[in-house]
Amino acid sequence: MGAAVAGVDIGSIFTKVVIIDAESYDIISFSIMRSGASHENASRSATKDALRAAGMSLEDLAYVVSTGYGRSRVPFADRQITEITCHARAAKFLFPDAHTIIDIGGQDSKVIRIDAAGRVTNFVMNDRCAAGTGRFLEVMAEALEVDLGKMTELSLRATKNIEVSSVCAVFAESEVISLIASGHEKADIAAAIFRAIARRITGMVGQLGVQERVVMTGGVAKNEGVVRALEERLNVKITVPEEPQIAGALGAALLAAESLK
Amino acid sequence: MVEKKEYKLNRLETTKLIGPMVDKHWAELREAKEHGEKVAWCSGPLFIFPYAMGMKCHFMAGYAAYCAGRKAGDQVLEAAEADGELMDTCSYHRLHTGMAAAILRGRPVRKEVILPIPDLLITGRLCTEMAHYAEALYRRLKIPVVAVDIPPPRRKEDLPRLERFVVRQIKESLIPALEKVCGKEFDEEEMRRILRVLKKATTLRNQCWEFFKLKPTPWTLWDYGVSIAPVFYMMGKPETVPYYEKLLAELKERAAKKIPAILPDGEKYRLYWDAWLPWAFLGMFIRKFVSYGAVPICGRYPWEFFPHPEYIDPDADDIVKNWVELYYTKGHQAMVMMTEGALEQIMELVEEYSIDGLVMFASKTCRAWVGQREIVNEIERRLGVPGVIIEADMVDSRMVSEAQIETRLQALFETIDARRRR
Repeated sequence: MGAAVAGVDIGSIFTKVVIIDAESYDIISFSIMRSGASHENASRSATKDALRAAGMSLEDLAYVVSTGYGRSRVPFADRQITEITCHARAAKFLFPDAHTIIDIGGQDSKVIRIDAAGRVTNFVMNDRCAAGTGRFLEVMAEALEVDLGKMTELSLRATKNIEVSSVCAVFAESEVISLIASGHEKADIAAAIFRAIARRITGMVGQLGVQERVVMTGGVAKNEGVVRALEERLNVKITVPEEPQIAGALGAALLAAESLK
Repeated sequence: MVEKKEYKLNRLETTKLIGPMVDKHWAELREAKEHGEKVAWCSGPLFIFPYAMGMKCHFMAGYAAYCAGRKAGDQVLEAAEADGELMDTCSYHRLHTGMAAAILRGRPVRKEVILPIPDLLITGRLCTEMAHYAEALYRRLKIPVVAVDIPPPRRKEDLPRLERFVVRQIKESLIPALEKVCGKEFDEEEMRRILRVLKKATTLRNQCWEFFKLKPTPWTLWDYGVSIAPVFYMMGKPETVPYYEKLLAELKERAAKKIPAILPDGEKYRLYWDAWLPWAFLGMFIRKFVSYGAVPICGRYPWEFFPHPEYIDPDADDIVKNWVELYYTKGHQAMVMMTEGALEQIMELVEEYSIDGLVMFASKTCRAWVGQREIVNEIERRLGVPGVIIEADMVDSRMVSEAQIETRLQALFETIDARRRR
C-alpha cells in the first residue's frame, strides 16, 4: 500500500472527503456531510469521519488537496485546485473516454470539455443564480412537500405534460405552488421541474457542444429524474458514476496523489 | 494546478500622474457654468467637435471611471433606480439618469460626482442602448439632443457607405447644433490644433504599446487603460504629450534594465482582456491577476483609440471626413465590435503578444460586445489557447461576485498549466 492522500471538496451544501491510496488510486474511504455555516469546521469534521472509517489520523495523509466553493477554508490543505479541474480529473479516471462533464452541485452548474488526454479545453459555469442547481431542486421539493429522494419515483407517474417555465428558484417556487393550487398532480409537477433543470443545463451544454461520452457528476446526478430529462433533451446517453457526489473530492485526491510524484 | 508564489505588482511612476490630471479636468467641468462656459455631455468618438467649439465636455464612459474612483458608482446607480430606471439597463446609462435624478430631485449622491446640466447632449450611437440614453436624458433634462448613429459594420465592404452616413450626420446635424448652442461658426482651426496635439500623443502612446511584446512585460494593460484620458477626453490639452513622453522614457528604462511589471521575475501568464475595462473594479481584478503571476497584456477596447495615428491628418481638406475615416475605412476599428472582425484581430494579438489565455469580460448590462463565447471556442479550436468568460459589470458592484471570478480565473490558469505540461 502506498501513502494515503485526500481530496476535500467544500461545496455550498455538502462537504465531501475522499481518501485514496496514492499508488493504486484505490478509494480507502469517503465521507459526505452538510457544510453548514463554517467551512473550516465542515472540512475538519468530514475529514475526521473519512479518517475514522479508514482507521487513520490526519498525520497519515501525505498530501491534501482542497476544492469547491470553500477550498480556501481548509487549514490542512497542501494545495487548492478548482472543482473544474477536479471533476474533469475524476471523470477521466472513472471513464477514460469521457469528453463532456456535466457537474451539478448545490449552487454551481458546470459543463466541462476535456480532450483525449483528460485536459480541460473549455468550460462554462452558471452565473450568480441558483437556476438548475441542487439548491433549486431542494427548494422545489420543499414546495411540493415531497422528499427529494422520492421525486424521481413521483415523476415517473406523470401523465400530463405541464411546464415550470421560470429559471429563477424563487419564481419557480411560486409557480409550483400555483400549479398545486390549480389542482395539478404532484407527479406532473415533479416531471416539469426536472425538464426545467434540463432546459437550463442544455443551454450551457450548447455553448460548448456535446461530445460523447457525457459524464454527469455532482449531487444532482443522484437524481435519476434529472438525468433522464437531460438525456431526453440532449439526445445522448449520460453516464453517472456509482457515487457522483464525491467526484470533485475524488478528483482532488487523484491530483493530490499526482502531486507526490 | 496553480502554484501560488509571492508575486507583486511593480507600479509605474508615470501613471501616478494621471490622477491629478484627471481631477483637474473634472473640476474644470464642474465649474464651467460658473465661468460662463458651455457644457456638452458626449458618448462615442464625437467629443472632438464640442472641444473644437471651446465647450467643456464630459465623456460617458469616462464618467464611469470618475464615479468609480470616488466610490460613488453604486450610489448614483441607486439614485437612478429610485427614479424609476430598471436595474438591467446599461450601467453607463443609469449613471447619467442617476445624476439627473440627483440634480432634479435631490436624490442623495456625493457632491463631486454631480456635473452641470449640459447645454447639449451628443450621443454617438455605437450600440442600441444609446437611443434609450438620449431619450431618457432628453425627457428628464429637456436639453437639445443630437443622436449620431455610428453603426457597426458587418463586412469590410460596408465601411465606405457607413462612413459617408456618419460624416453627413456630423456635418448636417451635429455641427449646426453646436453652432446654434455656442452662437458661433464651427471652429475648424481649433479642431486642426486638437488633431495636431492628438497625433503627437497617440504616436507616442503607440510606441509605448510596443513594449507589451516584451517578455517579461514592463507594464500592464491596466497601466495602459488608466493612461487613456490624455488621448480621450483630455485630447488636445498640451500636457498630454509630455505625459506620454515621460511614460515612454520610463518604459524604455525598464526594458533596458529588464525591470518587469510583476515582481520578482516577471509574469507567469500573459492574458488577453476582452471588452470594456472594468472601471469600478480595476484594483480587484489586478490583485487577483497578480496573485497568480498573471498580467493582462492586450485587448480590443483599449487598443481601439487610436491604432493608426499616421492617418490623423490635421491639414486634411475635409477634417470631419478624416476623423470618421479613423473609425471606418482607414482605422477599421469599427470592425472589432463585430464577431468576425474581432476574431481576426484577436488571433493576431494572441500570436504577436504571446498570449496564454483569454479573459472575456461580459458586462451584465451591456450588449455592445457580441460573440464572446464563439470567440473563446474558435480561438481554443484554432490556436489551442483557452479562455474564460467573466460575468460582471463595468460599474454595478451588485453584479460582481468575487468568489465566482476567483474560481473562473483559477480554472483558466489550471487549464493553461495543463497545456504547458504536454
